[in-house]
Amino acid sequence: MTRTAAFTREQLRAPFTLVLLVIVPVIFVVASAGVLGDFARAQGGSLAADAASSLAAGWAAAFVAGTLGFFAASSSRGADRRLALAGLGPARVAASRISASMLLALIAAAAAFGTLLARTGVAHPWHAAAAVLAYAVIYLAVGVLVGSLVSSPLEGSLAVAFVFLLDVFSGPGMAAQAAPYSISRKAADVLIAAGSGNASDAADWVKLAVISSACVAAAFVAFVLAARSRS
Amino acid sequence: MSRVATATRLGVREQARRPLLLVLLVGLPFFFITRAIAATEKLPRTIELAGGREVLTNMRDIHGATMAAITVAFLAGLVGVFVMQSVRQADRRLVLAGFAPMQALTPRLLVLLAATGLVLVVSLAVTALSFTPQAWLAFAAGTLLVGMTYGLLGTLAGAVVGRLGATHLMLFGAMLDLGVVQNPMFGSGAPPSWAVALPGYGPGRVIVDGAFSGSFHAGGALALSIAWVLVLGVIVAVVLGRLVSVQDRAARRWRHADRRLTT
Repeated sequence: MTRTAAFTREQLRAPFTLVLLVIVPVIFVVASAGVLGDFARAQGGSLAADAASSLAAGWAAAFVAGTLGFFAASSSRGADRRLALAGLGPARVAASRISASMLLALIAAAAAFGTLLARTGVAHPWHAAAAVLAYAVIYLAVGVLVGSLVSSPLEGSLAVAFVFLLDVFSGPGMAAQAAPYSISRKAADVLIAAGSGNASDAADWVKLAVISSACVAAAFVAFVLAARSRS
Repeated sequence: MSRVATATRLGVREQARRPLLLVLLVGLPFFFITRAIAATEKLPRTIELAGGREVLTNMRDIHGATMAAITVAFLAGLVGVFVMQSVRQADRRLVLAGFAPMQALTPRLLVLLAATGLVLVVSLAVTALSFTPQAWLAFAAGTLLVGMTYGLLGTLAGAVVGRLGATHLMLFGAMLDLGVVQNPMFGSGAPPSWAVALPGYGPGRVIVDGAFSGSFHAGGALALSIAWVLVLGVIVAVVLGRLVSVQDRAARRWRHADRRLTT
């Protein structure tokens, strides 16, 4: 069994984890997509209903990926250090951890995106898919960074939730003006554009790619440092 | 009883020694509720209270009335999930050492109640900065009941599906149940008929009645809320009791074998 497969299986040990990774985003997108337009208007946003609905898929993928990243990082510190010492090296261990977490985040993102397509339809589906994936990548990094700093599961989960709630309710569509600290702003802009039937311009795609790449790099460095640490 | 009191005191002290937890349990409600209410427009909205009465209000006031419930439900649910983890890890050893299962579990549930109470007080205080319910007692009682319900649901979820799945269930469950289905900001201004099957229905109706009505007409919803808490409490006691008692039978065998060796 490859390292990535072993790490993936480790995350799925608890019963129903894989089922919930799919069902929770599906139910969230189905139930909230219809009301997000009203909610956005109440919050001072100006989104059309379909554009607001598309955010539900991004949010679902984001929170699932964030908690996945947190639990992957917080629970693997000791094991990763020993694996690195046993000869794998910190970089290979980190790459396997990232791959395992990305695989599971991809499952949740795919479930959310598929439900969005079925529920409301999206004018630019590939753009929306890329944006939902970007949400997952950004929040995977958030979870990994929180997990590398906070070991307690309750505090870590609350911290990820705090970042998530701060971000999504200050982001595009949910506020009259998106806050500068909204880390998923670019992903939200692309997702909203896809939902509205508009194509995003090249600058938005470049910024989204840079942010996503930086997040993957940050998560990789966090795993490497954890695998090298003596604590 | 002194075992329970000692274990409860130590459990509360254990939680109080975690400053980040206290900061998050206080800071998250403060930020979430304050920001949500401040950012909501005062768009007019007619909502339906328990008993079919209609009230004209606005979106900001409705958001003010419902945000505390969403926050308390989600936070109490998460605390419940991780109380379960503590039960798995430590309380089996207490039972092996001679505690009765309920003597080991009661302190955990009391710690959960204390954490729910802390979040409740902070949430109500923050809500009071921006919104004044017509009847504070009903409003607070409904919010407490939603916290207790979701705290117990979190405990069960942690036992059945593990911490990752339970964390997702608690956040999305609270947001969908109380933030969407029960929320009079959306739909017709009253929950749909099928919403009565969800745990947030009873407390949600009590909260909205307390927020917008000077006289209490949500007796049925209150009774439903209390029933949810009692039934969940029994289920949690049975499920957690079984989890720590699995070793209890083994412990009795060991103690019996020990006595035979020493006589």
